[in-house]
Amino acid sequence: MTGLVVVSHSRVLADAAVSLAAEMLHGSEVRIAVAAGLDATTFGTDATAIVKAIEAADDGAGVVVLMDLGSAVLSAEMALDMVDPAVRQRAVLCPAPLVEGLVVAAVAAAGGAAPAEVAAEAVGSLAAKQAHVGAPAPDASAEPTVGTEDLADTGDQGPTYTAVVKIANPHGLHARPAARLAQESRLFDARIALRNLDTGAGPVPATSLSRVATLGALCGHRVELAATGSQAREAVAHIVALADRRFDEQEPSSAAGPQRSAVHRTDGTPMPASPGIAVGPAVSMRASDVEIPDEVPGDAAAEWRRVRAAIAEVRREIQRIRVAAAREGGEGEAAIFDAHLMLIDDTDLLDDVRARIAAGKAAPRAWTDAIASVEAEFARLPDEYLRTRAADVHAVGQQVARVLTGAPALHVEGEGVLIADDLTPAQVADLDASCVTGIVMAAGSPTSHSAILARSRAIPTVVAAGPAVLDVPPGTTVALDGTTGRVFVDPGEETLRELEAADQQARAKTALARAGAFSPAVTRDGVEVLVGANLGSVPDARAAADNGAELAGLVRTEFLYLGRHQPPTTEEQIEVYRSLAEALGGERLTLRTLDVGGDKPLPYVPQPPEANPFLGMRGIRLTLAQRDLLDDQLRAIVAVAYETPVSVMFPMVSTVDELADARHRLDRAIQLAGRGRPAGLQVGIMVEVPAAALKAAAFAPHVDFFSVGTNDLTQYTVAAERGNPSVASLGDPLDPGVLHLIRAVCRAAEGRCLVAVCGELAADEAATPLLVALGVRELSVAPSSVAAVKQAVRQIDRAADADLVRRALTAAGPRDVRAILG
Amino acid sequence: MVDGEAIRSWLSLFATEVARNRDLLTQLDSAIGDADHGANLDRGTSAAVSAFGTADHSSPGSVLKTMGMTLVGTVGGASGPLYGTLFLRMAGCAGDAERLDAPAFAAALRAGLDGVVARGRAQAGDKTMYDALSPACDALDDALAAGRDIGDALSLATAAADAGRDATIPMLARKGRASYLGERSVGHQDPGATSAALLVAAAAQALSGQVSA
Repeated sequence: MTGLVVVSHSRVLADAAVSLAAEMLHGSEVRIAVAAGLDATTFGTDATAIVKAIEAADDGAGVVVLMDLGSAVLSAEMALDMVDPAVRQRAVLCPAPLVEGLVVAAVAAAGGAAPAEVAAEAVGSLAAKQAHVGAPAPDASAEPTVGTEDLADTGDQGPTYTAVVKIANPHGLHARPAARLAQESRLFDARIALRNLDTGAGPVPATSLSRVATLGALCGHRVELAATGSQAREAVAHIVALADRRFDEQEPSSAAGPQRSAVHRTDGTPMPASPGIAVGPAVSMRASDVEIPDEVPGDAAAEWRRVRAAIAEVRREIQRIRVAAAREGGEGEAAIFDAHLMLIDDTDLLDDVRARIAAGKAAPRAWTDAIASVEAEFARLPDEYLRTRAADVHAVGQQVARVLTGAPALHVEGEGVLIADDLTPAQVADLDASCVTGIVMAAGSPTSHSAILARSRAIPTVVAAGPAVLDVPPGTTVALDGTTGRVFVDPGEETLRELEAADQQARAKTALARAGAFSPAVTRDGVEVLVGANLGSVPDARAAADNGAELAGLVRTEFLYLGRHQPPTTEEQIEVYRSLAEALGGERLTLRTLDVGGDKPLPYVPQPPEANPFLGMRGIRLTLAQRDLLDDQLRAIVAVAYETPVSVMFPMVSTVDELADARHRLDRAIQLAGRGRPAGLQVGIMVEVPAAALKAAAFAPHVDFFSVGTNDLTQYTVAAERGNPSVASLGDPLDPGVLHLIRAVCRAAEGRCLVAVCGELAADEAATPLLVALGVRELSVAPSSVAAVKQAVRQIDRAADADLVRRALTAAGPRDVRAILG
Repeated sequence: MVDGEAIRSWLSLFATEVARNRDLLTQLDSAIGDADHGANLDRGTSAAVSAFGTADHSSPGSVLKTMGMTLVGTVGGASGPLYGTLFLRMAGCAGDAERLDAPAFAAALRAGLDGVVARGRAQAGDKTMYDALSPACDALDDALAAGRDIGDALSLATAAADAGRDATIPMLARKGRASYLGERSVGHQDPGATSAALLVAAAAQALSGQVSA
């Protein structure tokens, strides 16, 4: 018969609970052992006493351990570690409330239930009380059943919860969704095993990225989850929800989206990837694998430290690239780097490396052999797409191997236009821009991470030029136009002259803008317009300062929150905000509070899936509901505001009540700081919701500024989602409907507060005269666009051009507006 | 090299420090917990020092094991299983070796820290002993990797532990009884991080004479 153990801080409490339970037994015999208090009167728990109690209660049928709080749980877990493995096999730690749980468990045990059943009954005991008292819906941890579960007894770590999910991702559980799955699985105290029911592959641990990918789970396959451990139930429910959301994988925005060349190879329709003209001799690149030297291994601990240090360095490198990719390509683009990060921290992989080191291998050899075995596992998979993920493994493996051996990142032979099949982001990041004047890739896509990096490094690039370019002999003159995507092999004199003329014109324009980068932007009739930068990292802030930004008009603080398992602490935020201010030379920082929603959920923010995340809990709506997140952030913002000019900006505001609520939180943060209101602190809102734009007069008394987020304002105004290619063309911010809303904001703000624009429209130089005429007095743009936008302001003859406004507002559509702007 | 005797003097010094700071620890715990950290830990470490008198201390592992097992059975509060796990995992990592060189000691401490994480499931910023111990382990590893001797490395680790302990003041507790206080836990130094910093400081004092190999 299943035995019971009561662990409590108090001997008196435990004894009384046992008496209460005994009343229910009507003479049936159930073994109940007590491990409570350090002695009859001293509160405390003792793992060794729990071991004895477990041994006393177990007659071979197993035991269920019920605990009160705090150290009782820790000591009980420790006791389980200490008992005989055979006993541990049949012992279950039960998370039920002690008194109710014990009563129900005693009855279940007397009825002959096995430990897992007894534990499940005990957990359910809370439901009766909750139903009776009418408590608000219990949280997931206390909910007795979830429809998809099925309880089975493995006699191992408590009950096993299982569920079957159907993979809906078009490419199956490939690296990014697998990374997401592994990442989320680690958040729970549960062991989750996965099996592919369609192929029979597995079981594999859900926390191991490399193993999950070897399931070969394709779209439509059924994958079984089986979880044990104290949070098994929650873990299963969470992963089922995650699978329903397709592991947060965004719909591919185009066929040439984040996928890599190996699958979506094109046959010679070159595409522009990074603007600019480059002419020079063709150079090739030797991307041979790192040679692993025969070295005498040091002692195992030292070799292991080498591996750890190399991984740490590569991790920093990947994080750096990830930031760049997220900034330019969005979170969806950056997610592949999460997969890379997960891979180098994969427990299975690292265990293998450690084992090889223990077997006498030097670090580089142990690492490359372990990587090769993971790669081979991928390469054996039946699906082509998943099979090509072996390339990701290889790339990351080589990155670490290079650090371990000190091999140079990439060897380019000579100077000129680099011709390559496809480059990894790390390779592009490492190119010497003084040698490589341009890049032509046979494969690749303009939205790939490599292309994004080429743009950020200002190296003119054409991708998808087709395999034929690889046959161009080294030294042949190659010209490319990264703006149009044209590639010329051995171009004639005339072509070269034409390209050079275009190039010079572009350069002259840039040079003029650069020359005026650090002067204020004033229209010819003397109206000054602030030009600021949108930032998503500290390097951005440096770039902004270098380009003459007069402030940070938008700091996307999300970069602090994404890709991690817990929110940043207030201190961490203070550090980062301080670094931003320093990098920006002490100019004003406009810190937007966390702006996320159901489309990019954070692991530590519980958010049920929403049918329309863009119309759901996001921006200020979310953070007002997650007060800790908002309060921590506001505390950090206030702390920094004592040191440097700071504006706080609330995103996605649609009602004055939301603003009042948010301002109240801010006031509380100021009170807590206890130093009075920071002198330079300003408060504003993003105007992204049409209702907010039209109600601007109601907001105006409560803000120092409005900042129009034209990207979201446009998508909400024209009811066309930005990411949906079939309606994306509707989302032109120059739609007169959007312009009317901007004018409404400017009118309400006139003479009371500043109106800024921080969406993409702000960087559209053709639109600058119109925005200024509408009354916008601050433009915040990508750091690299600051100088050009300043120059565009200086070209304006009359700031208050009423005629321009009238014509634009009465135009039929964005095309007509563009024609008016010329 | 650190031998069993050195470990014993480290842990005895820790016990002395805990006794000396007993009231401070209890006072910190009374602000955000159940006011027993000083008393509990003192009971445990004193019992361990008595146990050292009779137990085997021929190797670091055996001393660490005595320490761990004694704390598990005598502390009573959450610090029992947590510190107990720390020392037992260290003992496991140290094995039967008669002496530990500096990297082996650092590796053992890291194993202990991993044990604390596994036991308490604390993360950085949860306002726990982890917030002092984790930066200390990092500082120790980094300093040793940079070629510093164990004395220097442990001084740097002590500074890191102290900074980590101080950083718990503004944190919101997310673990243990303090987490029940929610926002009210902000503004108080975490007692667990405080005792953990004492542990690292004691190591710096007791082990700095041990020349690294």
